[in-house]
Amino acid sequence: MKHQIFFIARKELRSILRQNSLKVLFTFVIVLLGFALYAGHISYKQQKSMIETAQKERRVEWLGQGNKHPHIAAHYGTYIFKPKTLLSLFDFGLDTYTGTSIYLEAHFPHDFMFRPVQGYGNIVRFGELSAALVLQLLLPLLIIFITFQTFTKEKEKGTLKLLASQGVSMKIVYLGKVLAYTLVVFTITIPFFIGLYLIGVNNNNDLVLTDLGLRTFLLFLVYSVYLWVFTSFSVWVSLQSSSARSSLLTLLIFWIVTGIIIPKTSANLGETIYPIPSMKMFKEDIQNDIANGMNANDTKDKRIERLKQRYLKEYRVDSIHQLPINFSGIQMQEGEEYSNKVHDFHNAKLYKKFKLQNRAGSFMSFIAPYIAVRNLSMAFSATDWYSFNDFQEKTSDYRRHLIRTMNNDMAMNSKYGEFYEYKAGRNLWETIADFKYTIPKATMNLKYYWIELVSLSIWVLIMFILIPSSFKNKLD
Amino acid sequence: MLETKDLTKKYGEFTALNSLNLSIRAGDIFCLLGANGAGKSTTINLFLNFIEPTTGKAFVNGLDVEKNPKKTKQYLSYIPENLQLYQDMTGLENLRFFCGLQGGNQSREELEALLIKSGLQKDFISKRVNAYSKGMRQKVGVALARAKSAKILLLDEPTSGLDPKASNEFSELLLEMKEQGVAILMATHDLFRAKDTGTHIGIMKQGVLVDNMTSSQVTFQDLEQKYLEHMHN
Repeated sequence: MKHQIFFIARKELRSILRQNSLKVLFTFVIVLLGFALYAGHISYKQQKSMIETAQKERRVEWLGQGNKHPHIAAHYGTYIFKPKTLLSLFDFGLDTYTGTSIYLEAHFPHDFMFRPVQGYGNIVRFGELSAALVLQLLLPLLIIFITFQTFTKEKEKGTLKLLASQGVSMKIVYLGKVLAYTLVVFTITIPFFIGLYLIGVNNNNDLVLTDLGLRTFLLFLVYSVYLWVFTSFSVWVSLQSSSARSSLLTLLIFWIVTGIIIPKTSANLGETIYPIPSMKMFKEDIQNDIANGMNANDTKDKRIERLKQRYLKEYRVDSIHQLPINFSGIQMQEGEEYSNKVHDFHNAKLYKKFKLQNRAGSFMSFIAPYIAVRNLSMAFSATDWYSFNDFQEKTSDYRRHLIRTMNNDMAMNSKYGEFYEYKAGRNLWETIADFKYTIPKATMNLKYYWIELVSLSIWVLIMFILIPSSFKNKLD
Repeated sequence: MLETKDLTKKYGEFTALNSLNLSIRAGDIFCLLGANGAGKSTTINLFLNFIEPTTGKAFVNGLDVEKNPKKTKQYLSYIPENLQLYQDMTGLENLRFFCGLQGGNQSREELEALLIKSGLQKDFISKRVNAYSKGMRQKVGVALARAKSAKILLLDEPTSGLDPKASNEFSELLLEMKEQGVAILMATHDLFRAKDTGTHIGIMKQGVLVDNMTSSQVTFQDLEQKYLEHMHN
């Protein structure tokens, strides 16, 4: 049986290699992927250099801001730039939408700025051309074009009957064909991922991504499984179709529905089932809670008064002027802490909705394997929502640490009522270490994507077990 | 070598083959005559296990076709009316492919010799099949049967559309194989070829074997008359 599968695979490969149109299509995809890899590499080096330069400049600015009051320094703030990895240029993921830098300042947790999507036209709605997009959507299209008539042509020409008369079962023919087309796909993906890894290894020296090898391997694995599923499905459709035309039509409809319509619909569906507040409402709610308290009856003034009484009691003094520390610093930090609490509360509510929206989308991967590979690809490229969220949390922690340090210095080293009189200097600025970020291990991210993993496994199971065993060897 | 017992095939209300009893031994060439839809191809398809019988049994080399679909195909070689090979491969590559599927590992020289022995011109051996005539493709089919050392040859109107020379060449190949003890079942419309080549002749009508004769016992005129009588009745 094995040798028959290999014989059929070899025959198919020979036929593919003899078709000029397919050679042209293959060359096109290989050139496209090669170009995407090269452009990604160049872009990565440029962006990495720009980010590193900008980050160093901001550090120099922070340290060299001169002597000033710590609270002014807290408002002077600094910038953090999201580090680029080569994988983020393989799959842009949400990077296009989430912004590249953030301004850290007292009182206001700012949003990320400079979202690449802001500079694009409507065309970005169809997805930017990344290597991941080529593998997720264009390569399946190529698979459709090379496989749609693999069985129908044999049926129309009568060679299938001749094969059957040799005692070759349809299952063997199917497996042989799938093997051949899988090998063809692998001749594209294996060199691509090796190239991606080698470029990554030669450039990844800043420890932002500590598991590049594992991530590249997981990406290769996920894409291999997805493309194998797509290949098997396409060959199966060709087997089941009565004509090449109907096979092509079926496969194109499948591609459009599962690659374009369902992903867009599932995003809308998630938003409809789990609506999120508008940005305006979200920010108003936060401001309201900060001003009036999360219990609606705990205004800022009441909170300050309570804090004041607590400190007076603790230090057994009658007036805040008698405190050995600057109460303004304590008050500012208390305001920060409360603001952080409010932000954390509202963000947690919002993130819960995002998670539910994501989950609704993930379930659609059971009918559209593209969604599974798209989500897993973003996860392993560290450009998914969870990776962004982790970076956002780390920048938030850094901001909180920076502000707390400034407020504490103000509280400990200046007097109540003094402002411009007290000035801190470089010694204080240096206590704030430069921001360093390491992306969490890919394995940490896997727990969020169990639906996608189960979905891909089911697709494999269907293709590997159910379909070949459902063949009839009868021709009537 | 080939045998049927009350072999019947029905498609709904339509009976394509009705209780066929047939026996073909090694060295026999059994020619099945009949109009279109008489049941000739159905009989061949049942021997190939391409279709399931409604009732009855078909045997190849004593083995029940339905129970031993793979094993029985090892003894068979099949040449349909319009043998289609892989167009983008040469005759030699096609032969190597089909032999390889059977586990054959003949050398290039052996396969070339088989093609030449089967009547294919030498300069066509390495040409792609899309340049072949129907007769040339049939010769590749015969070469395949030889390479496989098939004990049984099933032919479904193999000479239809061939010019008289090619048809004659094909008949000679069949006679050669008959001498080697191959059992041949050939469905055909060609009365002359049936009389000329066959050892036995059967006439089918509406799924029924209405006549079964030994070729040597009838003249061509007798055969033609019998055939026309059956067709008109």
